[in-house]
Amino acid sequence: MRELDAIAALVVRDLRGFFRSRSQLYSSVFFPLMLLAILGAGVQDGLDPRNIDDYVTFLTPGMIVMTALFSSTFSSATYYQDRDSGILRVLFAAPHSQRVILLGKTLSSVVIGVAQALIVLGVAAAIPAIHFHWQYGVVRSVALTVLGVVLLNLFLSGLGQLLASRIRSMQGFHLVMNLVLFPFLFFSGAFFPLDQLPIWLKILGRINPLSYGVDLIQASLYARDSGGYLGVPVDLAVLTVLAAAVFYLGTSRSVSLER
Amino acid sequence: MSTVTTTPSTRTNADAASAAVDARDLVYAYGERRALDSLSISVPQGTIFGLLGPNGCGKSTLLSMLIGRRKPDSGDIRVLGQPLSAKLRARMGIVFQEPSLDPTMTVRESMQLQGRMFGLPRATTEQRTTQLLDNVALTDRAASMTATLSGGMKRRLELARALLTEPALLLLDEPTLALDLDSRQDLWRHLLEANAAGTTLLLATNDVAEAERYCHTITLLDEGRVVAHGTPADLKRDLRHDAVRVEWKDDAEREAATIESWPGVGGVRIAGRTTHVTVDAASPFLTRLFQDAGSRINGVQIEETTLEDVYFQLVGKTISTSDAAQRSTV
Repeated sequence: MRELDAIAALVVRDLRGFFRSRSQLYSSVFFPLMLLAILGAGVQDGLDPRNIDDYVTFLTPGMIVMTALFSSTFSSATYYQDRDSGILRVLFAAPHSQRVILLGKTLSSVVIGVAQALIVLGVAAAIPAIHFHWQYGVVRSVALTVLGVVLLNLFLSGLGQLLASRIRSMQGFHLVMNLVLFPFLFFSGAFFPLDQLPIWLKILGRINPLSYGVDLIQASLYARDSGGYLGVPVDLAVLTVLAAAVFYLGTSRSVSLER
Repeated sequence: MSTVTTTPSTRTNADAASAAVDARDLVYAYGERRALDSLSISVPQGTIFGLLGPNGCGKSTLLSMLIGRRKPDSGDIRVLGQPLSAKLRARMGIVFQEPSLDPTMTVRESMQLQGRMFGLPRATTEQRTTQLLDNVALTDRAASMTATLSGGMKRRLELARALLTEPALLLLDEPTLALDLDSRQDLWRHLLEANAAGTTLLLATNDVAEAERYCHTITLLDEGRVVAHGTPADLKRDLRHDAVRVEWKDDAEREAATIESWPGVGGVRIAGRTTHVTVDAASPFLTRLFQDAGSRINGVQIEETTLEDVYFQLVGKTISTSDAAQRSTV
């Protein structure tokens, strides 16, 4: 019970910090929407309609995944602010295991990421040019999207936490995150369908964790039927295993507080 | 080592059970360097206990073990009669050497977070926060962001936060570092109040004057080992009686070499053109000093001997010599 209260306190603290950081609050929501408008409208006209007939709608699940990705990266970077301000030392001196503290940090990242992704989803759903097909029905499709975003955020926040606790400088952290996550994003099917790519890129797409998040959300929002998708059970299973694995790895070793 | 009053071999299980901290034969190494080298201490409950030594002598490493951040390579630690555990930290507080406040939180929010992290009922947290902020004169800054506080205010808030849970043991890692004199005295007033209320204070410091003034007992450390232990008076008992500071016009090292051979002279420390000499009695020393070297002297001052002199006599180096490369934090 005390552990739950401590985790809740950490989530409240991080949420408060997030809402106080106006630039992070606005940019995290406006950037994907801006990209959706510019990239969606701009590329739509140059597309071969045999490939994708409604690119803006196709792009929306990818933007939701990108929002989760950016949000997790930002949230993980707060590790450095907490370390450098010294508050992380105070949190680790509390009567809880390291795992409880890191779970609190991860969950706050998840809450922020899910909220941002849902804002993007809500705004996108209200744009007349975007036509979701809700193949599982609106409620189920939204529920699956939310579940996908939660698992994706758990995985990405866990990964961010894992890297942040082992990379001493924030600059190094951002470098590694960009190096790892941008290729993840590009070959996840977020911007273009994976089935039209060369075989080696298809393989990269299949071993890319983000592909399963994009696949799940595209199947829920964009797809008219399940043909050509990996399938919701596969997506959920892969994301769950990955989220659990990175969280375990991230919390099983003592976190360094040295700068 | 005649001033060491408690050694691991003579301590009983009853001592360990009644001690606020009982550490035996602790060893901890950073790579090849041993930060703690068979270190044993016993901190009686209700006292102010000082760990005094230069940077890198193992003080912060020991404190980090007490809050569970590091595990000893070997040895045993009991706190408040129990083996270390996360739950036991509920009865401990700590003020870190470096600032440890979240700049995105207000003063009151910092206290509330501490209360929730330590599982205090909300009403208790609110009541004690109000009382403690009043005690440390931060009531009118309760809604301020911590980033806007002065250095002294931040330290007072960190202390109030550490005292929120009414810890039985309060760990202090150089708490007055970088504070001005007024802020130091202010902080110590609050610490003494906490001690009077029953909290054991374990102070890690390299501030000799502070340790001598406030600690009931002091352990002198060097390279992770205990070199002496006792009350400040005990530690100074075997020391030469007087200390004389001599400022030379020219080379102090050559003069020091001469003075060292004089009868009644103990330790001679050199700092620039100044020598600090401990002697049996100041009068005969000064007479000879002026006879032999009067023309080469800029100034002379008679001082009381300090624990710095004790440390120098025992270890052959000063506490205030800092080595930033060796400094570690909790």
